[in-house]
Amino acid sequence: MTLRLARATTDLPPAGWQLLPLRFHRLDPDSILVTNLVGEHAFLTESQLLSVLDGTCTNQRLLAELRAKHLIQVPGERLPAELLAIKLRTRLRRLPDSTGLHMFVVTLRCEHTCRYCQVSRQSTAKSDYDMSEETARRALDLAFRSPSPHLKLEFQGGEPLLNFPLVRWIVAEAKRMNEVHSKQLAFVIATNLALLDDDVIEFCGQEDVYLSTSLDGPADVHNGNRRRPGQDSWERTVSGIRTVQQTLGPGRVSALMTTTEASLDRPQDIINSYAELGLRHVFLRPISPYGFALRRRGGAGYGVQRWLTFYEAGLDHIIDLNRHGVPMVEAYTAIVAKKMFTNDDPGYVDLTSPAGIGLGALVYNYDGDVYASDEGRMLAEMNDHTFRLGNVHRSSYRDIMLSDQLLQPLQESFTLSAPMCSTCAFEPYCGADPVFHHTTMGDFAGQKAMSAFCQRNMGVFTAVLRRAREDDFTRELFFRWAQQ
Amino acid sequence: MIKLSGRAKPIGLPGLVDPGVWRVCQASETPTEHPLAYLVRDGDDHVPGYGLYLTQGPDVAVPGPALQLPADLAHLAAGDVIGVAPDGRRITVLWKQAATHNSVLLTEQCDNYCLMCSQPPKDRDDAWLFDRAKQIVSLLPSSARSLGLTGGEPTLHADALIDLLEHCRDTTPWLQLHLLSNGRRFADAGFATRYAQVGLADIMVGIPLYAPEAGLHDFIVQAQGAFDETVRGILNLASLGQCVEIRIVVQLHTVPVLTDLALFIARNLPFVDQVALMGLEMTGLARPNSAEVWIDPANYQRELLEATQILVTAGVATRIYNHQLCVLDERLWPYAVRSISDWKNEYLDICQMCSVRDACGGVFTTSGNRLSQQLRPIPP
Repeated sequence: MTLRLARATTDLPPAGWQLLPLRFHRLDPDSILVTNLVGEHAFLTESQLLSVLDGTCTNQRLLAELRAKHLIQVPGERLPAELLAIKLRTRLRRLPDSTGLHMFVVTLRCEHTCRYCQVSRQSTAKSDYDMSEETARRALDLAFRSPSPHLKLEFQGGEPLLNFPLVRWIVAEAKRMNEVHSKQLAFVIATNLALLDDDVIEFCGQEDVYLSTSLDGPADVHNGNRRRPGQDSWERTVSGIRTVQQTLGPGRVSALMTTTEASLDRPQDIINSYAELGLRHVFLRPISPYGFALRRRGGAGYGVQRWLTFYEAGLDHIIDLNRHGVPMVEAYTAIVAKKMFTNDDPGYVDLTSPAGIGLGALVYNYDGDVYASDEGRMLAEMNDHTFRLGNVHRSSYRDIMLSDQLLQPLQESFTLSAPMCSTCAFEPYCGADPVFHHTTMGDFAGQKAMSAFCQRNMGVFTAVLRRAREDDFTRELFFRWAQQ
Repeated sequence: MIKLSGRAKPIGLPGLVDPGVWRVCQASETPTEHPLAYLVRDGDDHVPGYGLYLTQGPDVAVPGPALQLPADLAHLAAGDVIGVAPDGRRITVLWKQAATHNSVLLTEQCDNYCLMCSQPPKDRDDAWLFDRAKQIVSLLPSSARSLGLTGGEPTLHADALIDLLEHCRDTTPWLQLHLLSNGRRFADAGFATRYAQVGLADIMVGIPLYAPEAGLHDFIVQAQGAFDETVRGILNLASLGQCVEIRIVVQLHTVPVLTDLALFIARNLPFVDQVALMGLEMTGLARPNSAEVWIDPANYQRELLEATQILVTAGVATRIYNHQLCVLDERLWPYAVRSISDWKNEYLDICQMCSVRDACGGVFTTSGNRLSQQLRPIPP
């Protein structure tokens, strides 16, 4: 043996370490989750945690794990703080490149009358609810002011294909303007696909436009939620998805689902309906507390716990599909996994801090009003204009981005300072949602002890962590999702 | 395995051999200002004008001072670079033209003392090694592709190393260089900057990292504070846009933390150009420390697979070195590199029947009988 340094000399003596910024949360009676600034985490028993906190821990394996995860350090070490700083910078690196998503509400008209819809209008006089070219031009001017090198222009409604000429005009105009700006442009039409025809397909093919649609699951669930004359929404959507897949390619169309009362017992059926269509992503979204959904029957009549039960059953089914070789991703879990297992914050508008309002997305309503988020404009349909930042015809970019309407909710909801968020172990995985909390509690920060947003996300984080911890296949699956 | 040094018999030396480094050449190469040693073949015309002649037999008449090669060095060929002792009685092969891996030893001094070091450090003045390295580089044939620079710890001699790298930049700019270093010196931002400013187009530093935290790493390298410096060195190199490879030797102490180390790299150092997971070479300090370091590779395949998958998923290029395919989990074969230096590799009798022998690096001849118990021929 040639040892100069015995193994014991590198052991940590009692109180031979100091805590790095950490937060903890009891997951169950036997384990406490401990997280650092950027979401690296460990599971400790209560007595282990106490011994680490009071300096009496003698479990060298545990101390080594906590050192590796930058939860503790040895006095005099420079590296942990340096690495934590790099990781935190990585996490926040998107902030200076604000506002990548710009939503154009080209019309409020729609031929569907979905039970949960927040905004659409039955066809009335065209001019009342369509965006004009002049409004679109001014909206484009604002969009191109954003520092983000990537701009995604999403056409929203109503049903945007009812004002398809304006969609064509905006795409052409944006590409023309981009000859000067040289940003990476992407275009998405959010459509129910009922009006998909050869013209639209050809246009999307030529101009590299993606399609995003709504699919609530099997025919009975979907048609029950998404009413239209003839009760054939599902048939039209499915046929539209297949047409796009066959003509433009399988990656050119994605679908979102909304969870209603009717969905809650059917997670497997819903997910299978996606798998049968060759769709690789399901987003098990809870219904939002806005617009008509709250007022109409069949809306958000279920509580967070019932949605969580639905989500967990759906997630287990998706894990099972993957186990049997069917690739399928649950989109919300993938966002959360990225925040748990990498230093990246995908900047998902509803789960990031500072909040995604304005910084992540801007919405240009048909009438030129600018909103901080899609939910903000839906709120306006209920006569609450809190998140209206200005109007394209009257406001400058500075007026909008530096408005109190934007800065105040951003500041008050910022999770590193908001009450109960700043001390929460889940903070690195979570986000700020001032629109939700304003809507439900009349306060941008919200009372987190009673917040459905908080309850729902803590439920999701717990479900994800527990599954990753208990099963190797699931942990590897989530790790792969996180890296996508 | 071929011999890389042997005793020579001087014939007609007028005095001491000078310089000490020569390139072997044959008839097609005309004499230049470089020290060229003419390799005499049977039936050759004896071309005059060379400073040194190398003969295979005792009774060959040559037009100048000559060294008679031992049978062990019959493999010498044009393009090889050799070192010759001043009295002409010893020849060392410094560069083998036909080999895929060539490395030059720059120093035997080191500030780490790794448990499994294959080249145990010696604390003596060996500054002449850097001079010899420069001479070797000057003599490299233009067909030379890559060169490894090893130690010891080359960065202990900062000025000599920078001087050598500048020499490489100026004389062999096409050469791919791989510098093996423990990385600690690069924690000094001033030195890291000097290194980067040499401006070599194609150089990578291979830096060993054995654990995701200081306690275990410092124990394995037998130096307090090494982990902190090594990782900060990697950060400095990366921030200067320099290529970095992390080398993990898989041994008894690293196996239990292999997946944690992979996660640490994925999370903290995902920007490195490559991670090499290396099988243990049972030579040098690994022999006296065998009880501290040896583990049969067959017994860590689960950990190796998990670590590899973590790194690959995180987008980190990953290679597995020094592992026999028959011991390696088949899912790891795509990452296995036939890496054992040609002069160190060997196949066992049982390898004769193996269907993947040619894709396999074989075993270290230096490893003696410390080989996996699971070695077996892979049936077709």
